[in-house]
Amino acid sequence: MNKLLPKPSKVIDFQRETFDNFTITLDAKMKHEPGQFVQVSLLGFGEAPISIASHSDKYIKLNIHEVGNVTNALAKLKKGDKVFIKGPYGKGYPMKKLKGNDIIIIGGGCGVAPLKGVIDYIGQNRSNYNNVMLFLGFRTPDDILFNKELKKWRKDYHVNVSVDKDPKKTCYDFNVGFITEMLEKTDLNNNNKVVFLCGPPIMINKVIEILKNKGFNDNQMFVSNERLMFCGIGMCCHCMIRGKLTCLDGPVFRYDEINKYEND
Amino acid sequence: MVNLLKLKKAHLKKFLNKLKNEHKLYVPVKTDLVRFEEYKGDIYLKENSYFPIKEFFFKKEETLFDYNKNKISVPEKESEKRIFFGVRRCDLNAIKHQDMIFIEKFNDPYYKKERENSILIGYHCNTAPSEFCFCGSMDLKDCQDLMFFDKGSYFLVEISSKKGSSLIKKHKEFFKNTDKKITTKKIPNTDILHTKDISNLYNNPDWKKASSMCLSCSACTALCPTCYCHSIHDEGNVHNLNKGKRKRTWSSCQLKEFTKVAGGHVFREKREDRFKHRIYHQLEYFKERYGVNLCTGCGRCISGCPTRINWLKLVNEMKK
Ligand code: SF4
Ligand code: SF4
Repeated sequence: MNKLLPKPSKVIDFQRETFDNFTITLDAKMKHEPGQFVQVSLLGFGEAPISIASHSDKYIKLNIHEVGNVTNALAKLKKGDKVFIKGPYGKGYPMKKLKGNDIIIIGGGCGVAPLKGVIDYIGQNRSNYNNVMLFLGFRTPDDILFNKELKKWRKDYHVNVSVDKDPKKTCYDFNVGFITEMLEKTDLNNNNKVVFLCGPPIMINKVIEILKNKGFNDNQMFVSNERLMFCGIGMCCHCMIRGKLTCLDGPVFRYDEINKYEND
Repeated sequence: MVNLLKLKKAHLKKFLNKLKNEHKLYVPVKTDLVRFEEYKGDIYLKENSYFPIKEFFFKKEETLFDYNKNKISVPEKESEKRIFFGVRRCDLNAIKHQDMIFIEKFNDPYYKKERENSILIGYHCNTAPSEFCFCGSMDLKDCQDLMFFDKGSYFLVEISSKKGSSLIKKHKEFFKNTDKKITTKKIPNTDILHTKDISNLYNNPDWKKASSMCLSCSACTALCPTCYCHSIHDEGNVHNLNKGKRKRTWSSCQLKEFTKVAGGHVFREKREDRFKHRIYHQLEYFKERYGVNLCTGCGRCISGCPTRINWLKLVNEMKK
């Protein structure tokens, strides 16, 4: 079988989230773990790895930030259009092994997208997990993702949304300030807890420092990593973090697997 | 079947001419540099080729598929009958390592097509062809179809595979039985890398000595017979943008672009980290996954480096 050939898939929904972020729903039926990703391509523009921001065997949702050639082109899709996908790829969150724990989910900016898949999964398997806390940080109120879902999450979980700044002063159900400040102020111990983290490298590093001060161990934290990748199957080697391949051994790593690797 | 035969040197060209009738035959030839080219009567065996034969199998550029609007089609490709004569031990092992990746692990149809009908005939080095050769430090295996040992006026020819054996059978008129033996396959003075285990050297400050001389030109990775990192991109047809090709091309970990994600962040921003990544992938990371060092000790990344960064010497002198 030729592993480099993508399969066509139809866009069944297009939802704009913010001025530079949108969610598409594809009619792809695939079994996958929360945290896994697919390679999405538009012929002529190329491929991009995008994590699955849903949990269903009937469709997949992809939340996409417009930052490069491929994603800018994907932003012009309409219902009924075709894209090409390969996957699902990678290792996601070991949800079955983590049954019975409290789950703390911390996401920054477009790093919230991969976590959305986990939140959906937890929603469908709610009784397997204890308390669920969400810390979600965005730049401004206009950058907040998943507004519709947030309403529901607020009912079911302990939700903290913060924005770095609020220039238009529209603040009502979120905090103004960095997510790391919020986290620092929260009273937390590490008893039966695991943390899922995704966001820009600076935020991740700071969050890890805070959690360690609160007594969390490296093996209680799971980080979803972003790297440049082409093949998705461990052949092209762009996504290596030292000897680890983000596409095969990740994108979700337990932090003790990669904690020594600063510059990779 | 005997596995060692004798071929008179005076008969080599006749033998090669015979091979040429049925296969495309590539041999090392000296032009501006020593390169593998189609055999036209000349052959040069005093040095190893400047470029390894990697590019005949893992192409610098490979079309994965053509697209036309939303239709994808994989181009038909002929599997040529080819023989490569005069390949050194390091480069044979490098092909073996590429086979492990592209065929054994990923069953890559593009690479497989190129390899399928190729026969590899080795030429054993009596002495190291370059001062930077260190194949003797690298646990190499036999992975050719035939191996030629140069004994002055004749070659001892070792049959190393079924493909090799049937080739000899077809041309048995050139080969004589012999009671001679290959006493050693060791190539003198090639064990110049003292340790392959560099796992505890990652934070050694001396790496800076190497990376401060590095220009990030990527000659090392382009000349390396084992480097297999690549990129994939779409190339539209300028006359009709609905059409185009998805291509796979060589890429280099020595360039910043190698880890640059959309939005501009570069993960291996520092030259030292990129330099180390290359050496560690060659000596460690590949071994963790595939069980052997990727590097086969050909020395090209030193001899072909514009500032001649001798990382062997550097590693040998590092204090643990
Ligand atoms: S060939 Fe030498 S200078 Fe060029 S990237 Fe490699 S190590 Fe650096
Ligand atoms: S790393 Fe250098 S010595 Fe090793 S195979 Fe590649 S070019 Fe040759």
